[in-house]
Amino acid sequence: MVQLALPPNARIDKSAGKHYPAPSGARRVRTFRIYRFDPASGQRPRIDRYDLDMEQCGPMVLDALLKIKNEVDATLSLRRSCREGICGSCAMNINGVNTLACTRACEDLGGGDVSIYPLPHMPVVKDLVTDLTTFYAQYAAIKPWLQTRTPAPPDRERLQSKHEQQRIDRPSACILCACCSTSCPSYWWNSERYLGPAALLAAYRWIVDSRDEALGERLDALEDPFRLYRCHTIMNCAEACPKDLNPARAIGAIKQMLADRQH
Amino acid sequence: MTLRSPLGRVLNHGAAHGGVSHWIVERVTALALAPLAIWLLVTLLALPVLDHATLSIWVATGWNPVWLALLVLLASWHSWLGVQMVVEDYVHGLTKTLTLLVSTCVHALLALSGVYAILHIVFAGTA
Repeated sequence: MVQLALPPNARIDKSAGKHYPAPSGARRVRTFRIYRFDPASGQRPRIDRYDLDMEQCGPMVLDALLKIKNEVDATLSLRRSCREGICGSCAMNINGVNTLACTRACEDLGGGDVSIYPLPHMPVVKDLVTDLTTFYAQYAAIKPWLQTRTPAPPDRERLQSKHEQQRIDRPSACILCACCSTSCPSYWWNSERYLGPAALLAAYRWIVDSRDEALGERLDALEDPFRLYRCHTIMNCAEACPKDLNPARAIGAIKQMLADRQH
Repeated sequence: MTLRSPLGRVLNHGAAHGGVSHWIVERVTALALAPLAIWLLVTLLALPVLDHATLSIWVATGWNPVWLALLVLLASWHSWLGVQMVVEDYVHGLTKTLTLLVSTCVHALLALSGVYAILHIVFAGTA
């Protein structure tokens, strides 16, 4: 059935949010409105407001979050690791856009409050930490490894021309942060059956790899009204990608290949 | 609550090996509908008056009934495919199956009654 109302634990309790004022003497105050939810508590999610002195805070949104966690409220949960945009751990929704907290500068967010939510439409483990189990399973489902029948040359690597390498160069740069998939409405409504832009970009990366010998099998596995064809070229994926990749174009190329082998 | 592995859930029944012709036909019908829609608009606007008698004669004139029937069939086909996509996006379970059945019946009815109306005007005059 079409679900019109959100379940209670997806509705924010507007009366429950806490406010943490900036320390006295703060000169450049900015408010961070952060989604807080602990499923184990039995309480509905709330928005806590943290006022930070930006003179005493690093430039990136992740710096602000870590300042809050270290100095203001240690109960805030978030994932982070590399703090330089290569691990994909700190993907979250900042001012309505999925991106990495470590590479998004507070100054680039314009003026006003900064709203921070977990990645949309994913089960929340706690606060800004979402459950990405299905997302990772979808990546595993496209068999993200080289498949060959020809044995590798005994004395060297499998060779690839410069041009052939260039075809996989960009799609290989995906860090699996899930910003694209969780920004895609098609993925929201059918996240179990639609593979989503990230997994399809990964599939494309192996489809166009000149060394791979499983192109037919890879296309066979994607030839499905839900796995692939839920993409309606909404393009949120390309808009969201913090690595400036274009999953939508990769999906379009896969659809073109499937059409080409029909005639 | 399921103890099935995440990969097992995602792989599920495997690929249905469908969707390609749906994707192609969606585009081909759209391409064909564009000139037909322009033809309809231009020729209708070129008529001196848009009353019942004029239109009845217009429908039965020359190749008009052929283009009109083509337009009705292609529009129904295209709409059927489009509605199916929307339903599959938003509706789940048994409701989805029932909605798709109803949509199919409505579109078949639209296409057939449209073509029947054109044939009726051509061969039996206006109703």
